[in-house]
This record gives sequence, structure tokens and C-alpha cells, in this order.
Amino acid sequence: MTVEDLLRQPPYSLPQADKERILLAELTSLHHHHRRHCAEYARVTEKLFSHNTDALTLAELPYLPVGLFKERLLSSVPKDKVFKVLQSSGTTGQTPSRITLDHETALLQTQALACIMTHVLGPERLPMLLIESPDVIRDRTQFSARGAGLLGMMNFGRQHCYALDQELHLRLPEVRDFLARFGKGKFLIFGFTYLVWSAFLEPIRSLGLDLSNGILIHSGGWKKLQEQAVTAEEFRAAFRQTTGLTRIYNFYGMVEQVGSIFLEGDDGNFYAPTFADVIIRDPQTFEELPPGQTGVVEVLSLLPRSYPGQALLTEDLGVVHAIDPPGGGRLGKSFSILGRIPRAELRGCSDVIAAQVN
Amino acid sequence: MQVQSLFPAQGSVALEELKGQVSGGNVNRPFDAGVVEACIELSQRLLRDRDARRYPELLALGFWMRKTELHRLQQQFDQLQREDRWLVPCGTVLHLPPRNVDTMFVYSWLLSALTGNCNVIRLSPQRSESTDMLLRFLSETLEQASPSAKQATWIVSYGHEEEPTQVLSSICDMRVIWGGDHTVSTIRRILLPPHARETVFADRFSLAAIDAASYLELDQSRRSALAKQFFDDSFWFDQMACSSPRLVIWCGSQTHAAAASADFFPRVNDYAVLHQAVQPAQCMHRFLSSSLAILDRPVTNYRRFPALSVLTLSTLDKFDRSHPGGGVFFECQVERLEEIAPVLRRRDQTLTWFGFPGEELRKLATSLNGRALDRIVPIGQALQFGRFWDGNDLLQSFCRQVFIGGIEPLLPS
Repeated sequence: MTVEDLLRQPPYSLPQADKERILLAELTSLHHHHRRHCAEYARVTEKLFSHNTDALTLAELPYLPVGLFKERLLSSVPKDKVFKVLQSSGTTGQTPSRITLDHETALLQTQALACIMTHVLGPERLPMLLIESPDVIRDRTQFSARGAGLLGMMNFGRQHCYALDQELHLRLPEVRDFLARFGKGKFLIFGFTYLVWSAFLEPIRSLGLDLSNGILIHSGGWKKLQEQAVTAEEFRAAFRQTTGLTRIYNFYGMVEQVGSIFLEGDDGNFYAPTFADVIIRDPQTFEELPPGQTGVVEVLSLLPRSYPGQALLTEDLGVVHAIDPPGGGRLGKSFSILGRIPRAELRGCSDVIAAQVN
Repeated sequence: MQVQSLFPAQGSVALEELKGQVSGGNVNRPFDAGVVEACIELSQRLLRDRDARRYPELLALGFWMRKTELHRLQQQFDQLQREDRWLVPCGTVLHLPPRNVDTMFVYSWLLSALTGNCNVIRLSPQRSESTDMLLRFLSETLEQASPSAKQATWIVSYGHEEEPTQVLSSICDMRVIWGGDHTVSTIRRILLPPHARETVFADRFSLAAIDAASYLELDQSRRSALAKQFFDDSFWFDQMACSSPRLVIWCGSQTHAAAASADFFPRVNDYAVLHQAVQPAQCMHRFLSSSLAILDRPVTNYRRFPALSVLTLSTLDKFDRSHPGGGVFFECQVERLEEIAPVLRRRDQTLTWFGFPGEELRKLATSLNGRALDRIVPIGQALQFGRFWDGNDLLQSFCRQVFIGGIEPLLPS
């Protein structure tokens, strides 16, 4: 079964054992594909992973540190086949990650997103409220991952309404108007977690708006909200109590790996679709950890063909809760992300600022 | 402008007022009894204190400045004195120690104070737990010390502002800048009085050399002991101290080198895992920096352990001295120690060694002729601070030398 076949199936339809068999074969051939077409990948994986035989399990497959994409532009396609270079938003002072996409990989990415979104949204395009300012996609020369993510999601909506202005203040009249027209039926709300909380929920908390027919999809991580001590549970509870919104789906993913879109289930855990997976590793030994134990998250995806990003060791901590959990309607691994690995500060007498661990 | 005073007063102080105080500070005679007494007292506090015992670098400091050592230092100083060339204090010394080697400010202060100088030390507002502990010990000691010692030290704290450094530089006779090429070039732009001098300690690189055959002749317990000493050299300051080894040279045949390395690094790792918490972020950092090294350097082999990574190089030609720290070791095999001489550079500070006759080490130093290496010490002594550092004799660096001509010899020869 190829990635194209998997993308035509429902995203959580394969038991883990079957899925692993397919992923192992496909990821092994992707590994050889990138060895042939990306000299840096061939050199790094040959030295980092000395075993010469093919992997017998997913955990044995070679992987790269995700930070490598901040340092190098790795590509497995000739320059004239590069369709676009996707760049992470990266907060000020941080080097952004960059990945090369060709048409084929970009198309797979669109299909993967559709495969997953259809699962929670249904086949129809829904009226869509964007917790964004129209500016984020206005300047197409400055294409950030945030803009790309937004454009990708806009395909699943119609009658798009931007809820924020340039200064990221709420455009209340427009939001009221949107709800008056579409609030009685199913509609989609999309935005980045921090903006959804601070620029959307905060100002409407006391207004009694009815969002009970909405489906909220958000991503971008909890880092900023954790600073304000907002937990995922509080986030959900606040929406339920003040707007009646209950269908809330966070998703975990990263610009460095197209296709690894891990969407929350109704239980608040993330689920891996058929064409992607996670492995939790011991931070010291890098050995795979069993469900229930916290470690470093490795992400796997069948989509990256134009650059060697099919197996990446992230800098996030996570835990797998269950494999093929009963009752939830989703097969595969369910897991949580517990945030970034805490920074280490090195001591020493040289200019350590420059050498500080990210 | 206000800065934070940490000693003698605690709290905010106007820069102008501080300037006045320091200008009226004590310049003592070298090895003033009150100052020596205070140093002994500080050493005893460090060695006695339960909390301080948790930090090996504080214990090492306490041990280094214990009574017998201070007396030895005084004897060495006395031997330097000649009747026609008298060593006297420079006057007021401004110390700018590194933020991340916690103990450095005390080493710097100690040699300067013992030789009689009046001292101003600038500490960063972001201080580690052990720096604060050391600061507390030093303050308490000086508080109870004789006036000669007490009125010869000011400790202040401020950020990256230029003004305080400017004002303090304007009244000092000597400035000492510890660490970091960037820091050195930033502070060097700030003027000193024309007569004042400056000693700087810039970024350095250090390496270890092990004679593979001698290592393989060691029994199990001696191998482990050497691994422990190498751990102390490398890991106390996360391999970021300028004298910590980052490159290991294996001398001897390829077979011996490979066998010795395969035995040695697992021992270092085992010791590190037992004696220092392995931080997950550092493991990730090592994995990334190893990947980059594989792309950029002639790496033939990579070994990953929980507490360290080893990257084998096929050659030292054009060896890049930039280094991520945190337990990344490069290694290379050579037949004979002298082969490393052509690749050594001015930046190379300390060579820690095992298994070479003194003859061979002296030959290396002589053949380098000042082009590289300021210290050649056994493995285990990389961080052992001493009066000879970065090519200076610090007992003399903090002094002026007064020449007295045309006088009768004191003792008839």
C-alpha cells in the first residue's frame, strides 16, 4: 500500500500492527530514496546509525534532529523542481527552519490535510470564521508557515470571515454578522491557539455569543498560554461555559515535517493518522519507551519526498497513552505533548551566550 | 547612575559615590597579615560548609587557597623579590570575571589582594547558586576581617551598561578581563588611564593527549581512575571552561589507539552518568551538533553515550576550534606526539596528558616556541588554577617592578 492509497482511506482506520507493517516498508524505501538524492542525508545517517541492514521496526529507522533544518537547507530534488521553500514563523531572534517542497510533496500535503479534516468536518465546505487578520496572507512574498497553514485550512471553508483587524483586535460587528447568517448551522472556526484564547475568547467572554454549532480547530502550541497558566482543560471549559462551544480540536504538527498532522480526539489526546506516527524515546539512550512513559517525541511521516524529513527527533516531550484504544473510534497511537524539553544552560568561561543550548 | 553594591554595603549606590570610596581604598603591602588571615578564613569556611560541599569547584577553590598553599605562595613571592628590583602592588585593580565559571572571581581577587592591591569586582546580575554562595562567604569573611583586608575590596553588580565600566576603569591601575573574545573586544574599547595596564583572558581551546600503549598497560582500576580525572577536567563546567579538553589525541598505532579509545570513553560515560545528572536538552544538543560536525568535518566514526558523544577525525588539518560544549569530544590518532605541533595554534591553551616522558613534553613546548600552549599538565589538573595562567605569572602580573640602582648590596656576596 502506498501513501496515495492511505490518503484515500479514513485517517484512523488501521490497527497499529497493520499500520506499522506498511509504514516500515514505505519509510525504508523513503530512506533509500533520500540516501540516493540527498548527499548530506546519506552522510549523516550513515555515521549516526552504523547498522547496515534495513530496519526491522519503526524505531530502528534512521532519523534526523529537527534542529538540522534550522542549520541547513536539505533537499532531495534538483533545484528546478523546487516548488517552494517553506519557512517556519520563528519568533524574533530565532533561526527559522526551512524545507524544500516540490509539486508532488505539496500535493500530498494538501491531500493529507483533507483526509484528516474531512474526518471531523464532514465532506462539505463550512462557513468559516478565521481568528486572524487578513494581513497574514496578504503579502505572498513573505510566506510564513502560519500563512501557509491558514491558506491550507481555508480550503475547508467558505464565506470566510476574518475575526481580527490589523492590530489583532476583535472585529465584533463582523463576527456578530457572521453568526447571524451561519450560526444556526455547522460552521468552522480556525486559528492559532494563543490568538484564539487572547484575541478571541477574552473579548467575547461576557457577550453571550452562541458558538454551540461551531467546530474549533486550533494549533500552534501551548507555550504562550502556559506562561499565563492556561491549561488545555481550562481552555475547553472556558469555551463551553461562555459560548457553548464543545467541539474543539487542537492539532500538533511542525513545519519541518509535512504530513504529521496529529489531531485531538474527543478525549483530548492526539491521534496519529495512517500515514504518520510517533515514537517516544528515552532522552539519554534514545531507546523506544513503552506507553505511559514520558520521553522525547520522534515523528514519522510518509509525505516528505522532496526533502529528507520523514523521521525527525523533535525537542518536545510526550507520552503515548494507548495503542488502538477501544471505544474512541480511532485506531493507532493516542498521545499527549507535554511541552518543550527544558533548556539547559551551559557553564564555562567563553562567550556562552552564543553557545547556549536551544 | 546607580549600580548594585554587594560588598561592603548592600543595595543601590551612586556610581560617583562608589568611585570616591574606591579611590580611598587601601593598598596594602604584599602578603599583608590581615589579608592572608582573611584568605585562610575563607578557605576554611568553604571546606567546612555543608552546602559548599555539594559543589566540587568550591571545594577545589577552598583546597587551593588553604593555609599551607598560601604560605607556599608567599614563599614563592619572597623568592621573586630582589633587592635591586622590588615588587610592589599595581594599585587599584578592576576585575571583570566570566559569568559562568563561578569561582573565577575569587581566584582573580585572591592573587590581586595577596599582592596588596585594592580591588573592584564586577559580577553579573544573573548569578548561579554557587556564585551567590561564594559571594556570601567572601562578604562574611571580609566583614569580620582586619581593616586592611576589609577596606581593599568592593564588589558590585550591573548589566551590560558601559558607563559603570567606564567610570571604574578611569580610576584603576590595572584591568583584568576574563573570558570571551567578544567581551574582551567590547571592554577594550573603554579607555583606561594612560599609565594603567590590562591583562585579558580570551577564548581558548584545550586538548588532551594519551599514549595509547601506556593506557592499555594500566589495570582496570587505574583506567577508571584516569577516566574519573578526565571527567573532572571536562564536565565540571560542561566542557565550556577554556582549559577543559575538547579534542583527544591518541598517540601510537591505529590498533592501540582504537582499543584504548573503545575502553576509555565508556568509562568516562559511566562515571558521568553516576556523578552528574544528564540533562535531556544536552542530549538533544549533542545529537544536533554531532550531526553538523559529521557534515562539516572529516568524521569517520561517531559514538553516542548518554553523557557524551565521540567523533573520530581522520585528520587534524584545518581543525575547526569552534565547539558546542556539553560533552562532545573529537578524537584523532597520531603515531607520535610531535606530529600535533604543526596543527597547534595560539588559541590552544592547555594540553592535559597521560603516559609521556617529561622529555617528550618539554621537546613539544620547545619546538612550539611560544606559538601555542600555555600549560602542559597531567590529566586531572586541567581546571587546577595556578599562578601560571594563559602565559602569565599572576604573582608578578598584579605587581609593578621597581628598579633600585646604585645602592649597596644588603648582604655582601
